[in-house]
Amino acid sequence: MSDDSQAVSVTINGHLYSGTCEPRLTLADFIRHECGLTGTHLGCEHGVCGACTIIVDGRSTRACLMLAVQADGSEITTVEGLANGAELNPLQEAFWNNHGLQCGFCTPGMLMCATEFLEGNPEPTADEVRECISGNLCRCTGYASIVASVLSAAEELRR
Amino acid sequence: MKPPPVKYARAGDVAEAVALLTEHGSDAKVLAGGQSLIPLMNFRLARPSVLIDINRAAGLDGIRVENGSLVIGAMARQRDVETSDVAAGAVPLLPQVLRHVGHVTNRNRGTVGGSLAHADPAAELPALVTGLGGELLVQGPGGSRLVAAEDYFLGTFTTAMEFDEVLTGVRLPRLPAGTGVAVEELARRHGDFAIVATMAAIHLAADGTVDLVRLAASGVASVPVRLHGAEAVLAGIAPTAEAIDAAAETVAGSIKPTGDVHAPADYRRDMAGLLVRRALRTAIQRTEVAA
Amino acid sequence: MTIVEPPVTTQTRYTGTPVRRTEDPRLLAGRGEYVDDVTVPKMIEAAVLRSPEAHARILSIDTSAARALPGVFDVITGADLAAVAGQQPVIWFPIPDQRIAKTHALATDRVRWVGQAVAAVVAVDRYVAEDALELIDVEYEPLPVVADLDAALAPDAPKLYDDWPDNVSGSLTYTFGEPDEAFAAADVVVKESFNHGRAFGCPLEPRGAIVDWDAFSDTIDVWLSTQAPNLARDLLSEVLGVPVHKIRVRTPNLGGGFGNKFDFYGEEVIAAVLSRRTGRPVKLIEDRRDSFFATSHSRDQRLDFEMALTNDGTIVGLRGISYGVLGGALGTVGSGPPWASVLTCMGPYKIPNLDVTVKAVMTNRSPYGSYRGWGVPKGNIVHERLIEIAARELGMDRAEIRRKNFPAPEEFPHFSGVAFTYDSGRYADCLDLAMSKIEELGWRERQAQARAEGRSVGIGYSFHVEPSAYGPSRILNLVGLAHSGFDEVTLRMDSIGKVTVYSGQINMGQGTHTIYAQLAADSLGVPMDDIVVVTGDTDSCPYTGYGTGGSRAAPLGGAAIIRAGERLRAKLLRIGAQLLEASPDDMEIVDGVLSVRGAPGRSVTTREIGDAAYRRLLDRLPEGEMPTLEEVDVFDPPNMATSYGCTALLAEVDRETGMVSLIDCLQAHDCGTVINPMLVDGQLAGGLAQALGGALLEELIYDDEGQLRTASFMDYLLPTAMEIPPFHFYHQETPAPDIPGGIKGVGEAGTIAGVSLVGSAIDDALSDLGVTVTRFPVTPPRLLDLIRAAQISASQAKEGSA
Repeated sequence: MSDDSQAVSVTINGHLYSGTCEPRLTLADFIRHECGLTGTHLGCEHGVCGACTIIVDGRSTRACLMLAVQADGSEITTVEGLANGAELNPLQEAFWNNHGLQCGFCTPGMLMCATEFLEGNPEPTADEVRECISGNLCRCTGYASIVASVLSAAEELRR
Repeated sequence: MKPPPVKYARAGDVAEAVALLTEHGSDAKVLAGGQSLIPLMNFRLARPSVLIDINRAAGLDGIRVENGSLVIGAMARQRDVETSDVAAGAVPLLPQVLRHVGHVTNRNRGTVGGSLAHADPAAELPALVTGLGGELLVQGPGGSRLVAAEDYFLGTFTTAMEFDEVLTGVRLPRLPAGTGVAVEELARRHGDFAIVATMAAIHLAADGTVDLVRLAASGVASVPVRLHGAEAVLAGIAPTAEAIDAAAETVAGSIKPTGDVHAPADYRRDMAGLLVRRALRTAIQRTEVAA
Repeated sequence: MTIVEPPVTTQTRYTGTPVRRTEDPRLLAGRGEYVDDVTVPKMIEAAVLRSPEAHARILSIDTSAARALPGVFDVITGADLAAVAGQQPVIWFPIPDQRIAKTHALATDRVRWVGQAVAAVVAVDRYVAEDALELIDVEYEPLPVVADLDAALAPDAPKLYDDWPDNVSGSLTYTFGEPDEAFAAADVVVKESFNHGRAFGCPLEPRGAIVDWDAFSDTIDVWLSTQAPNLARDLLSEVLGVPVHKIRVRTPNLGGGFGNKFDFYGEEVIAAVLSRRTGRPVKLIEDRRDSFFATSHSRDQRLDFEMALTNDGTIVGLRGISYGVLGGALGTVGSGPPWASVLTCMGPYKIPNLDVTVKAVMTNRSPYGSYRGWGVPKGNIVHERLIEIAARELGMDRAEIRRKNFPAPEEFPHFSGVAFTYDSGRYADCLDLAMSKIEELGWRERQAQARAEGRSVGIGYSFHVEPSAYGPSRILNLVGLAHSGFDEVTLRMDSIGKVTVYSGQINMGQGTHTIYAQLAADSLGVPMDDIVVVTGDTDSCPYTGYGTGGSRAAPLGGAAIIRAGERLRAKLLRIGAQLLEASPDDMEIVDGVLSVRGAPGRSVTTREIGDAAYRRLLDRLPEGEMPTLEEVDVFDPPNMATSYGCTALLAEVDRETGMVSLIDCLQAHDCGTVINPMLVDGQLAGGLAQALGGALLEELIYDDEGQLRTASFMDYLLPTAMEIPPFHFYHQETPAPDIPGGIKGVGEAGTIAGVSLVGSAIDDALSDLGVTVTRFPVTPPRLLDLIRAAQISASQAKEGSA
């Protein structure tokens, strides 16, 4: 650790994490290594694949494109914050019902992206869902089942 | 793909950012939304000595109309501008263009100023600001200055800003009511940098002749290009199909595209003309002549 | 009087139903454990220095500055590695007398592709390891670069291997019938040169390994993102000289494999050597940039082929050559994929005369390896593109000409003419199914309406055959594989009557654990909830030949589970009969309850069976019955299983830009017994999306200096949800005759079908111009060139006739 280390305190899924880190440490690595929350995945580390998408202060964000030090004082939600204990939330449940995942590597990013999307658009069309997830690459599903999952979650959440 | 060692400083306001830039010299780099700079650092293609983070600098995120212009603070998030009624009312081209900038998650964090300071000639916002004759607000140790867009973009990733200056905002002339606007983008995938993008804003006088036309293209030169030649063809005449064709035919002469893995230069040149034609057609359809 | 039948208890049947996956909840909760999520005590992290030169001699490497950097544990070069490790193994030798170009995991004296590993660092973390890489100074002496196929085959081409006569690794021709006579007598011969650009499987999770080599016990503990843990263990043993029983390979969750993680890579060996030298567990994760250079490339082929037909559309001959554009060294599977293109170039058609050649050519590109579909997608390009060109030439309907050349259902087993014997099929039915769905979905109306509006909308077809269930072992050995093709399964019911399935296959997203639990539950007659599936640990799981590839997991693992299940079920019934004082012949087991048939009141549960077999045996376990409840089955198939399908695509071409938009896509498919329709559809959709990406977007582009120009996700374009169309899937089930359970593989169907499909749809959209797509990916500039050339020749023809 160099002399340039910075203090960082962030609240992730309701827990406060404090530590010091080099300025260059990405928020994604901070979450994975310092906080042990490995559900946030690294698929490209240049902001294209979306696997590391998390919610920072209410907005979906690429964790590989933020430095940990920039998140000081922020409220963050990661995929680990979605389920209630051992109970999946309706969006997760919809992915399960609709085979919205295969290898599961892109899934945390998809879920976080869709979480933000459904808050702003509770009655989306299939085309809107496609646009919503177009910044998240999936190599397994061909996307159709993910679109179906998000639409089904929207319906469930409207009930 | 881990960034190289770097120092970090957080600027509380623009003056502090300028002071930090002055202190650390030309190897320091301003960190805005990070959507371009951090990937370059992760690839170790950019290695600033110090990052000067202006994400918490006060007063840089405004979106307001001032003296007939839309003024956007450099740190206004692209997503906020895209969804802003103020921005859409003054420059309806903005939300349309922003929808082509990456994806929502990028725009949540990415800033208007960041894109304009990064000066990628394939990016949409620099072309929009150039095409509309916008001005960049720049602050340095000696104070503030306004730079016209066509004087600001000097080359790929190069602007007229000095190393100790900070981009604080952009001023775009408000488009008159009834202006038709259109964006045409040819990209391999949704959200990618365009192979070529064109933008048109056009306003018709009561007699149906063009009294305002703004045309721009990205991806066609080392800087975003305002298509003055095509604008001149249309100014003052009725925008007939022949006039549109004549305007589009001037485009090839106004641009200097280069080839890359996605498209050769000739293809870009051809497509720029085609997309200008398409953007003009759509923009004209969207014009509303005041009764 | 009404006769009331006693209620019939029927076993829940899981096979054939869309059961939700058992794998999903933890993956959805962020509790998956991928290799980069694994942390081992005392672990340190490595990174690899890669060559910036495509072809060069290494004159010197100075690692002193890197070694001096605080936090660095070790730096190794090729010489250090070669002192303790052998060359990277090759397991496929399909071409007799082939020259085998091998290399060490780190280059020793010469680099032959950009990105070849030349040195490695291990440090406290990846950040410091990457800092150290920048301090290593390598002096190269550039050599002339062989950048592409033409350059490699030029008469005066520079050579990659000085002791070879040229750059050709090997060549093999198959002949069947009398091809020369057939071509001489044919009414029509159509020929084309097809190209498929370089692409790769590109799993979203990059590859990775953690290796802990304990020099005192000489054991190697490995966590590896691999589709073939047993193969990896054997090959690690071969390369490192450590006996197999001292190596343990564990595979955590895999973030996609797609064949790319079948191959055995140098990074596994580098991490092992670094671990041995430092005495610490070493993690080596490939990052995204590494992946573009270091994960197997594939697809890169030129296929010059011609098809001979009679005037009624009967195919009488096929001949041609498949050039595999290999890299600077052979990968694990050698020239296997381009060879497989030749094996499958006749596709679903009866072609009595064949003369087909594979030629494997070395270039200064990354090594060639496995990617879902292997060589079959390119074989499909040959037969599907040529048959459509022939249909055009003969003025025949595209479906009719296909139907005319299918083997009839009663003609199976059908020998293709080269290597494969297709087990079963109702090809014409499948084609008809697809055609009827095109009508139902209203595609023809949509096409007609679009055309009336001046838009260019086309319908594309592709009929594909997917050889799956790769085996039998001895045949695989015979055609040049230094590995087997069987699959072994252990089925164990424990002391409380719950079941664990142990398999050597692994789970990379295709849902192996779910379908194995479905099959085991049905086979034993127990609830699915009573079953756990364990894979991915060579210490506890059995051996599988090959690995999870070649669409083997469902048919071969499934067959082994069914066979083991039958035997274990019989044992349960025997014990149950003892407990209930009945005859085993009168016993049944339904949802985990064993009862005497017709006397539902007399029953015991599997819990009591478990107790009788493991704990309280006295008077309860029949005399002569072996304690415990365990069955092992090894299934080596007598023949492969060929699934097949007919795929159709509705697509629009913008004639002014060359852009192609995909509107809708359907596939009629037959993979024999469907275990889980939801998962089968998922396999089909995912494969199709990869093929559509390969057809339109994805390309690893090398320039004339051998530099890779598309080494990021900004330039290597994976399709997004906006480019991929909706999918519709329809199934017919023709059980595999040689596989217990009738299961055929389905993993590669989409990738095989989807590339020629796009060409077909584009040709149809531009049918008035007579465009023929032969080069993939079809990028907008390439398609616009084709359109303009066709427009020019059309207008010249018009002038000529005026």
